[in-house]
Amino acid sequence: MLFCSLGLLGLGELAAAQDARSGTVKEVVGTVSLVQGTATRAAKPGEAISATDKVVTGRDGNVSMVLRDGTVMSIGPNSQINLSQFRYDSTTQQGNILVNVLQGSMRMITGLIAKVSPQDVKVTTPTSVVGVRGTDFIVEVK
Amino acid sequence: MTKPGLGLLAVSVFMALAGCAPATRVTLLPDAGLRSTAVVVTPQINNKAREPVVLDKPLVDVDIYSTGLVYTTPDSQALKRNASLIAIQPAEPLRSIVNFLPGTTELTPESAATLAQAIDNAKKRAGGEIIVVGHTDTVGEPAGNDALSVKRAQAVRDLLIERGFNRDLIEAVGRGQRELLVPTGLGVDEPRNRRVEVIVR
Repeated sequence: MLFCSLGLLGLGELAAAQDARSGTVKEVVGTVSLVQGTATRAAKPGEAISATDKVVTGRDGNVSMVLRDGTVMSIGPNSQINLSQFRYDSTTQQGNILVNVLQGSMRMITGLIAKVSPQDVKVTTPTSVVGVRGTDFIVEVK
Repeated sequence: MTKPGLGLLAVSVFMALAGCAPATRVTLLPDAGLRSTAVVVTPQINNKAREPVVLDKPLVDVDIYSTGLVYTTPDSQALKRNASLIAIQPAEPLRSIVNFLPGTTELTPESAATLAQAIDNAKKRAGGEIIVVGHTDTVGEPAGNDALSVKRAQAVRDLLIERGFNRDLIEAVGRGQRELLVPTGLGVDEPRNRRVEVIVR
């Protein structure tokens, strides 16, 4: 654990960048919330989404968002989706994305990070890990 | 890719009819672009990774049941089932290029019009953003060109802010000499490579 913490110190700059905007909410239909820890805010077009935000949609909720590297995520009704990691260097286009689909449905069209290093983009569900090779796909979780 | 036998398909259809939805279903969508596309789905049952399934054909479902059963079935209904999610797909990005009057941070008249158009287009989109990407030619050191390209992008960002576009929805990016419009060797003075791309998305 200590070892991990030391390893992270070198990435101070990256950690600082994580506080910033990882992506932007586009279209919102119905009830869509962004949850960060114990704070919940309503998603609206133009709103920033950051790493570790959880996107929660109601039974009538749909939302689309674009991450900084151009990755497009569209999320369907009754979903809980966590953007658990997002790092991106816009100059080199290197970074990584980790999304957990806990429940519901998500379409992802991968962007520049997956183009440069597909192994650094992962989508997990409670029963699978999806690795990409530059692509457009849907994940549905009961 | 593993093709399902008729028996497996029958089991899968039976389970679907019986209301046993898979715990996870992954479907590759037809790609409009030219990129080759695939996903690799690794079932994780009780925290143990199973044999990965490579999905390289569109509209085939990989169904993973919590018991560990995994099926691939053709003729996916994923697009129909997720119509509301498909419907809110953001529009494709719009790209244009702006140039400066030689030796200045002042836009050429055509580029000033291009910038105004970009602002109009971005405002029409839900959550519309403008990504400004600076590029250099190959004169000078790559690190210096990274810095120079960011400065060019920031100059355009400032113009967008001046014209009233929301600064939170602008990102200035410098790509240095990584994406030459006109391919050249090192140390080549090429005005067409010294440019700023304006991407509305």
